Amino acid sequence: MTESGKPMNIVNENVVGSDSGLQTIASSERTEVDTDTPPFVFETIDLNVYYGDFRAVRDVNLTVAKNEITALIGPSGCGKSTVLRCFDRMNDLIETARVDGRVLYHGLDLYGPDVDAVEVRRRVGMVFQKPNPFPKSIFDNIAYGPRISGMAKKKADLAVIVERSLRKAALWDEVKDRLSSSALGMSGGQQQRLCIARAIAVDPDVLLMDEPCSSLDPIATTRIEELMKEIKDEYTIVIVTHNMQQAARVSDRTAFFSVEVNEQSDARTGILVEADATEKIFSTPADDRTERYVTGRFG
Amino acid sequence: MAEELRSAFHQELIGIQEGIASIAAGVTELIPRATEIILNGDLEGAEYLILGDAEFDRRSIELEERCFQIIALQAPVASDLRAIVSAIKIIADIERSADLCVNICKAARRIYGHELDPSLRGLIQSMGDQARVLFSEATEAYLHVDAVRSAALRDMDAYLDDLHRQFIQAIFQSHSGDTVDLQVAVQLAVVARFYERIGDHAVNIGDRTRYIVNGWVPEHPYPESDNEPSTPQLIAEQEEV
Repeated sequence: MTESGKPMNIVNENVVGSDSGLQTIASSERTEVDTDTPPFVFETIDLNVYYGDFRAVRDVNLTVAKNEITALIGPSGCGKSTVLRCFDRMNDLIETARVDGRVLYHGLDLYGPDVDAVEVRRRVGMVFQKPNPFPKSIFDNIAYGPRISGMAKKKADLAVIVERSLRKAALWDEVKDRLSSSALGMSGGQQQRLCIARAIAVDPDVLLMDEPCSSLDPIATTRIEELMKEIKDEYTIVIVTHNMQQAARVSDRTAFFSVEVNEQSDARTGILVEADATEKIFSTPADDRTERYVTGRFG
Repeated sequence: MAEELRSAFHQELIGIQEGIASIAAGVTELIPRATEIILNGDLEGAEYLILGDAEFDRRSIELEERCFQIIALQAPVASDLRAIVSAIKIIADIERSADLCVNICKAARRIYGHELDPSLRGLIQSMGDQARVLFSEATEAYLHVDAVRSAALRDMDAYLDDLHRQFIQAIFQSHSGDTVDLQVAVQLAVVARFYERIGDHAVNIGDRTRYIVNGWVPEHPYPESDNEPSTPQLIAEQEEV
């Protein structure tokens, strides 16, 4: 299902109607895409996000390429998590949040009127800072998504999905003998991998990770980082991290965000300073602000 | 406006840079001394300079270890990473250049007692002067992290290469005129090569400084291989004439 990568599926069919209509939308978007450029999973165009009157991020133009790990780094308040939340429309859940500009998902406007946010979140999974397993068994944590989305018709199918997901998250061997015990009894690192397995279970296209290792010890952190590299052939990953070395270790591309302070109003707005190949960002960044941040010459 | 968050680390980087500039300045002084030693047949001076090399080796190793420690402990990135990577390479260039001065002194011992004709003496002096100027300039450019001055070293080195070429020709003339015997001629050819190599190390230091400034890397890892013939090549050229 993931392989198809069809963006049309996220469109609520009740609103749009026929399939041909959807394809018109999709193909008109696609004509703008240069065939030589790598296929972008996400592309933001002049993205601005407001919380009430407060503008959190300004004019972000960022691309996320398929099957790559893109790291978003920057100081607190730079808007990196805000931008991440635009990719699965989690900002919708914040009442005062407003998104201006466009976020394209496989060339399709994610904030288009006919897009179903729930379907978006099925295709774009999220892993949070703190592991948040459901107070259920390990099996039921993984089975939850497939069950409610009707992916598994039979019980046997469900078992297959659970095993496959746990294997992908490099957790199967550790938990296969205690699938019915509570997920809350697992270690922090295991819980976080369980959350990754849970996100994978509904066969998403993208995994968003918001500081997935900040509550884990170095060994658990390394496991997650290795896991990210193992699964990136199947998924596109966007990670927000405060740990610059983590961004350097795991990501293919790094986007550096910074905070711009308006002298008069003292308003602070997040901006995208530079996005480039990770090795470039950490060896010869083009922008002086990136240079100062990664070398610790800027507070 | 830059607020310093890692001042101890960045102080250490500056300390290493100054340490490197200091030993480079030492080598800059060695070059004219080596030239005087070979021109004057100064055996005592040669001995003194050769013994002094251990100090250059010791300081080079110490600086290198400080670089390794920074890599191990500080995870340097961007310009800090470029500074450390370049420092390690520059240290090797400086240490090797000190060795070349030692080699010039050893050659001085081997040709002791042989008179050199004025044209050869003049060319040795010129090569020594040019090598010193190159090394001094490379040191300054590195200390001031100056990419423009560093880039100019390549042109300055072209002049040294030209002197090298002239010198090989002069050796052949002296040898055919029976003013210098074969053993001395071979030693002199090698000495010319040592000066030429010092020039190359100065160019390397310049290239590494340019890398610190903006990540620039030369297209060819060994610039002399393209346009600077080796001593055997020069000898072969002379034989063809």
